[in-house]
Amino acid sequence: MIEFQNVTYNHQKDVGVNNLSFSIPENDFTFLIGPTGSGKTTLMRLIYFDLFPQSGIVRAGDYSSNKIKKRKIAYARRDIGMVFQNYQLLEDRNVYDNIALPLHVLGFPAKEITERVEECIDLVKLDGKEKLNPTQLSGGEQQRASLARAIVKDPSILLADEPTGNLDPVSAFELVKLLQEIHETGTTILMASHNYNLIKGRGYRIMELQNGHLRGNG
Amino acid sequence: MDQLFFLISEGFKNVWRHKATSFTAVFTLYVTLIIVGLFMVGGENIHKIIQYVRSKYKVDVFYEQNVSDLQAKVIAEKIRKIRGVRSATVIEKKDAVNIFRDQFGEDIFDVLGYNPLPASTVVNFNRNSAKRLKFNAIIEEIKSMDGVDVVRHQGILVNKLERYYQKLLANFPFVSGLIVLIAVLVIYNTVKLSVYSRRKLIYSMQLIGATKSFIKMPFVFEGLLMGGLSTLLVYPSMLGFIRGSNFLIQSVAHLKISLSVDPFLWLWLAGLAAIISILGSYRAISSILK
Repeated sequence: MIEFQNVTYNHQKDVGVNNLSFSIPENDFTFLIGPTGSGKTTLMRLIYFDLFPQSGIVRAGDYSSNKIKKRKIAYARRDIGMVFQNYQLLEDRNVYDNIALPLHVLGFPAKEITERVEECIDLVKLDGKEKLNPTQLSGGEQQRASLARAIVKDPSILLADEPTGNLDPVSAFELVKLLQEIHETGTTILMASHNYNLIKGRGYRIMELQNGHLRGNG
Repeated sequence: MDQLFFLISEGFKNVWRHKATSFTAVFTLYVTLIIVGLFMVGGENIHKIIQYVRSKYKVDVFYEQNVSDLQAKVIAEKIRKIRGVRSATVIEKKDAVNIFRDQFGEDIFDVLGYNPLPASTVVNFNRNSAKRLKFNAIIEEIKSMDGVDVVRHQGILVNKLERYYQKLLANFPFVSGLIVLIAVLVIYNTVKLSVYSRRKLIYSMQLIGATKSFIKMPFVFEGLLMGGLSTLLVYPSMLGFIRGSNFLIQSVAHLKISLSVDPFLWLWLAGLAAIISILGSYRAISSILK
């Protein structure tokens, strides 16, 4: 579950978020929509404790911003998967190693790592591309690899910050379809996008951010 | 266990993944360790060199004409007792005639009808003292002895050499400390640059939920490997340098000096490289992970 209680965070120059209050229940799929610079990324960063609110409280899973200790942030993030517009894949290692990395961090045994990574590669349809480096993949493939890395540890929350921002319409559509499949396994998903056409009519909740304020929430 | 294996292998793989930065770091370590190693070899052999140079110091003491061979031996005994003198060998009057004949090809008796050559003494000095040889004082003491006519020596050169040697000994700890400090700073900054170039990896690891110690460990193993690699290159280079120097000294300069390397030098260098690279990596990654 994700919960914001009167959360405000302002950047020195840019708009942040202002007095936001909302909650996203477990197993929910929510779209966060708004133009560039409306505060979507700030909101996401507050959820994975990369930023801390100047006022108010953020809760994500079992952790809340007013109680979490600095050294516990790493543990809080272990239950959150993240997908970024620029993929954030590590270019110094191949697709397989990128996807396996979170499992090594969590201390999974080698055998289970192999099983889980292969399962995820199947799911995101990257079979045969495991040995390639991210730079050898198309944008859509890189984003699918990034998604596989986010879900391989089976997080209860998946945050996708403009995951389709750099993709062509077909790849973007396929990625949202994949997110829907992942959601069906019981993962709470919050996906930020500025592309309303991509998300409308899917029957999921849509929250709208404008200049750091929540305009629509339903 | 799997996680530890991952951390170690990750550290080693990183050296290969980032060949250019690793090469720069290993090369910097190598050059720095060579300088430190040469300095250590210099320190180890400097005494040997000064011993050799001192063995070449020679003072010729010529006695007055009326000093007999027996009196010359008594004076030579007094010279031998002076602090800093190793030996005093008397050259009797008849030996002087033989030396003259060897050097000039003529018998001085045939030329002059008598032997005008005085008895003399060749003085050699102690080689093993780390203290400065008080050459001028010794010469003055010899000159003040009854029966001594002329003392021939290479005083200016000897004094210069002894002065430089003393300066070197006095400054050795300071210079060694400075060289090691510079080595530490150079290696630390090289490793820091190498770590800094991978801040995206560090950020990604943080987002995935890696703890600080988990992020640091591969960098520490990587530092250790780079330290090991550079030491592996340094030791044969040092041996090559010493053998080359010995060849030049003995075959070209015809000096009877043989430089040596402490067989444990590579252990010292490996230890130094390991400590510097591990500390460098750890501190560099810590400063980025703040």
